[in-house]
Amino acid sequence: MNQPTVSFLARHEFLIRRLHSLTGIVPIGVFLCIHLAVNASVIEDVTAFQKAVYQIHSLGGLLPFVEWALIFLPILFHGILGVLILLGGSSNTGDYPYAENYRYLLQRATGLIAGLFILWHVFHMHGWFHFRWWIDGIAAPLGGALFRPFHAASTAGAALQNGYVTTLYLIGILASVFHLANGLWTAGITWGIWTSPNAQKKIWRFCAAFGIILAAIGTSALFGMRHAGKSETFETIQGIENRMYEIRVELGDIRSSEDKRS
Amino acid sequence: MTTSGKPASFEVRILRQDAPGEPSRWERFRVPYETDMNVISVLQKIAANPRTIDGRDVAPVAWESNCLEEVCGACTMVINGRVRQACSALVDQLLADRPGEIELRPMSKFPVYRDLVVDRQRLFRSLVRVRAWLPIDDYSDRGPGPRQSQAEQEQAYPLTECMSCGCCLEACPQFQKVDLSEYGEGTSDEQRNAAFDRSFLGAHAISQAMLFNGHPIGKTSAAERLDALMAEGGIQVCGNAQNCVAVCPKEIPLTTSIARAGRATTIHTIKKFFDH
Amino acid sequence: MFQQRVLIVGGGLAGLAASMKLAELGVQTSVMSLTPVKRSHSVCAQGGINSVNELTRQEGDSEWLHLDDTVYGGDFLQHQPPVKEMVDWGPRIIDLMDRLGVPFNRTPEGFRDQRRFGGTLHKRTAFAGATTGQQLLYALDEQVRRWQSAGRIAMVEGWDFLGPILDDQGRCRGAVAQNLITMEIRPFPADVVVLATGGCGLIFGRSTMSMASTGSAASRAVQAGARYANGEFIQVHPTAIPGADKLRLMSESARGEGGRVWVPRTPQDPRPPRDIPENERYYFLEERYPTYGNLVPRDIATREIFDICVNDGLSVDPEKPCVYLDLTHIPRDELDRKLGGILRIYEKFQGVDPREVPMKIFPAVHYSMGGLWVDYERSASGGLAKGSPKTHQTNIPGLYAIGECDYHYHGANRLGANSLLSCIFSGLFVAPGIQSMLGSLSDSASDAKYDPLMQSAQADHQKSHDKWLQRDIGGDNPYLIHLELGQIMTSAATVVRHNRTITEAIEKVNELAERAKKCSLSDRGNWTNQNVIFTKALIDMFPLAKAILHGALARDECRGAHYKPEFDMPGIESDDPAERHRQAEEWCTKFEEKNKKWLKTTIAVLDGKGEPSLGYEEVDISLIPPRPRLYGLVGAEIIEEVWKEQHAH
Repeated sequence: MNQPTVSFLARHEFLIRRLHSLTGIVPIGVFLCIHLAVNASVIEDVTAFQKAVYQIHSLGGLLPFVEWALIFLPILFHGILGVLILLGGSSNTGDYPYAENYRYLLQRATGLIAGLFILWHVFHMHGWFHFRWWIDGIAAPLGGALFRPFHAASTAGAALQNGYVTTLYLIGILASVFHLANGLWTAGITWGIWTSPNAQKKIWRFCAAFGIILAAIGTSALFGMRHAGKSETFETIQGIENRMYEIRVELGDIRSSEDKRS
Repeated sequence: MTTSGKPASFEVRILRQDAPGEPSRWERFRVPYETDMNVISVLQKIAANPRTIDGRDVAPVAWESNCLEEVCGACTMVINGRVRQACSALVDQLLADRPGEIELRPMSKFPVYRDLVVDRQRLFRSLVRVRAWLPIDDYSDRGPGPRQSQAEQEQAYPLTECMSCGCCLEACPQFQKVDLSEYGEGTSDEQRNAAFDRSFLGAHAISQAMLFNGHPIGKTSAAERLDALMAEGGIQVCGNAQNCVAVCPKEIPLTTSIARAGRATTIHTIKKFFDH
Repeated sequence: MFQQRVLIVGGGLAGLAASMKLAELGVQTSVMSLTPVKRSHSVCAQGGINSVNELTRQEGDSEWLHLDDTVYGGDFLQHQPPVKEMVDWGPRIIDLMDRLGVPFNRTPEGFRDQRRFGGTLHKRTAFAGATTGQQLLYALDEQVRRWQSAGRIAMVEGWDFLGPILDDQGRCRGAVAQNLITMEIRPFPADVVVLATGGCGLIFGRSTMSMASTGSAASRAVQAGARYANGEFIQVHPTAIPGADKLRLMSESARGEGGRVWVPRTPQDPRPPRDIPENERYYFLEERYPTYGNLVPRDIATREIFDICVNDGLSVDPEKPCVYLDLTHIPRDELDRKLGGILRIYEKFQGVDPREVPMKIFPAVHYSMGGLWVDYERSASGGLAKGSPKTHQTNIPGLYAIGECDYHYHGANRLGANSLLSCIFSGLFVAPGIQSMLGSLSDSASDAKYDPLMQSAQADHQKSHDKWLQRDIGGDNPYLIHLELGQIMTSAATVVRHNRTITEAIEKVNELAERAKKCSLSDRGNWTNQNVIFTKALIDMFPLAKAILHGALARDECRGAHYKPEFDMPGIESDDPAERHRQAEEWCTKFEEKNKKWLKTTIAVLDGKGEPSLGYEEVDISLIPPRPRLYGLVGAEIIEEVWKEQHAH
């Protein structure tokens, strides 16, 4: 046969698609849950949130590798393949206005929105790359890299004070949550876990509930963070964060760092 | 349902195309209303008197049909925007849904030969791809087939009702038309099949693969069918829009077949990984 | 080495059974069909397929009794050796179809389930829901696809058979066909051509048959010199759903499961059927045939329903003739379980739920018992000789016919669920015979020496096709001519036949045939021109229509589906025992005289002008001697008694 002319993608289409489905849940879906839950902890207690950030940053030099391997690369893979999948379909909800068909369309739309949002979000908060020259020369002047790990809540909150930014975050979070909840449902079909229409209906209700809860958590995180960054609370929170920093430096948990900029 | 006020006549709008590669155009016909009409009898009326609403004599509309009782699948077309069989599309119901006019188009996922006649060879090629048959030894007398429970028969029977009409493919947002024009005039069967084999199988073929994999004799060659389902254009292309099951005129549980195929290929992949 | 090839025309049950068997035997085979073979008319068969089985055997059933039921039901008009062979193969055919994956309904223990059909006392009918024909066809379609992908079978789908190619010796060397899309006309050299092209229902306009069942292929063979046998025997199914485009079958199983046929005693009672009280309903089948009730044989039920509407004026609908077929007294869930498939068809096409409202039904042309005359070779045991090249060959050497388009097996009336058996049987059985026929040939139709023959055949058909396209406009409309033909044929040659109407019909059909030859096309293009394909098929309906009418006119008797009231033999009315006995003796004598004269195959051949001339041939009744067919006849007991006295030796 004409084996050589068949592209790598085509030859491994099945495995690649399954990997796409898998990465959507592990690690990306799991990460999304943790990310939103950790961020939502800001509502309860700023210190709890800051503690979690310290925990993450305790990885030190390993953190970028972990981030790339478990978060960025999977998202990039999932996103790029997602775009290819999106290009391979053509929605027809006009002629076939069925619930599942709308969800097919929404899955693609939310995927696209979530992908763009994540790109921007990572730039907005982290500036994409950690190279000094990039952050100072390019990311910061363009309004990115606003997050400071040792002032987690206050810097994140400050970055969310603009109403447009908040709206975009809200759209991005809800799109991501829908994409995950509905994607969980389709993944179950793809992997053959729920097969009958009855089971699929039941699981859909479960996925919808999961999505609503996760959306609530995500929204709380967003508005909690926004609240933390408001001018009336900002100083107080920075004070808490400064104290936590100093204690940790004293204990030798962390080294005094240039990242501690306020 | 019909209302008491039945029209004296109604308009039929047909998307026509003279031949492959030719531009398409709408033509409108006025058809006198009669009781018990279906879209086939509408097309027969137009064939007997092919004159458009503006008085032009035109060639009769070409369409495919055979059994006229929705078991052969031939007369599939897009009627008022939805793919279905022309024979079971009753005029009374169509006019109740959209008064005054009926719109007919050829299926959009297959190349048009002429008017409402399309080339559905790809659909049958998919059946070859998934080896949709039982590999029995011979046609000699070897006694009855394997005994089967009522439950097994009741699971298989709905899948065997698939008449290869193509509704599930037309409505599928993941099933795209295969463009053969790059091969030019004399596309060989090999070229055409190679192009088909790279494209999406479609719900009907996935369901047939599961039908045969569920049969005691078919099980012996289940691995081959699963390999076919996992090849390029296989089950992974499915996007779970589930239009297939919504438009299937035989109400075949296509999405159940797809999910079962998903499970079978999952297990098959793991087995292959560890057993080879 | 030369490469021989068999061309099968028609991809229904018979054609596909033959091609898969030939492929297994290693013969290169092509299958030509108007439609993708999966869309063939065989899919319309609903009820099931007959064969003796382990269960009926325990009730005393046997192949012999299946043979007896078939020839008795067929009024003894069929040759018996082919029927004997067929019923002997029955159990093996069901087993084979079972192995091919046909989802036959199962008993709780997992055996194949069977139901009872008309014309027998035994539950011989295996079934797959209400779509048995579809399931059987798909199983064969799958096997043919398997051979196709192995390169043993070539599919020639979307081609219209225009006629056989005969060499100087009159031997068939292939066929000319036309592509329905490109309109290309080309020869298909073949060493054996097998016609498996089904029935000719479209000659009657609307019928239960599919749009491809024009009979044109058989007609084209007849026009090339093939003989057409028993054309006048057309089965009219008692229960069909009248429609504007087609009369859709409502299976016999609806009555088998308890359906009752009735009309209101008041003509065209305007009340909804369920408001009409029991005592104002006329259950005419139950009243007239107390023993058989609604399950009288097809020809009788058909005549009674026709009679009640046409002669008694009791049709339930003032605008069209129809009677009620009532299932509303049966619980819903039971109906869904047993008859779901066919009830959905009614609901879909009539927009009325037959579980709530009685169905409106009327008889419709359903099956052609007659067809191309084909030979057979009898074996010593009374069946068919294995591997004989004679069996199923027409009078044109190298041209075979199988399935509904041949005339074997069903005589004057077909029993329900026997047609699927005869189609698959003839397809499977003919294959080894064809193989031995190929072995006896010393060359191949694809040899260069036959090129001129092929080219001239192609050129002839091309010329006549081109002429059609160059026709002037303004002549008759072929679709309207078809409508007229259907009306004439339906009124003259279906349920009840009168010599006067048939004679008139012959005149009208002759005149219509002339008009048809001169009709014009509304499409004169040369791409997917369905107008010209239909018109050519229409032209070819006429020779068969004439053969049917002439056969019916000549046959002055009643036999099976052929019913002429003038020649009916009434039952015994007298109450006096001696007189009854005398009348019965007279009846039996008349019956024997009638058989002496008419127990013969009608054979039509076309003369030089294309008009049919009739001849008759003896029927092989060597296995089961004919006896009176007495379903529902008044005085049947006394006739049977006398008949037994006379034949007790």
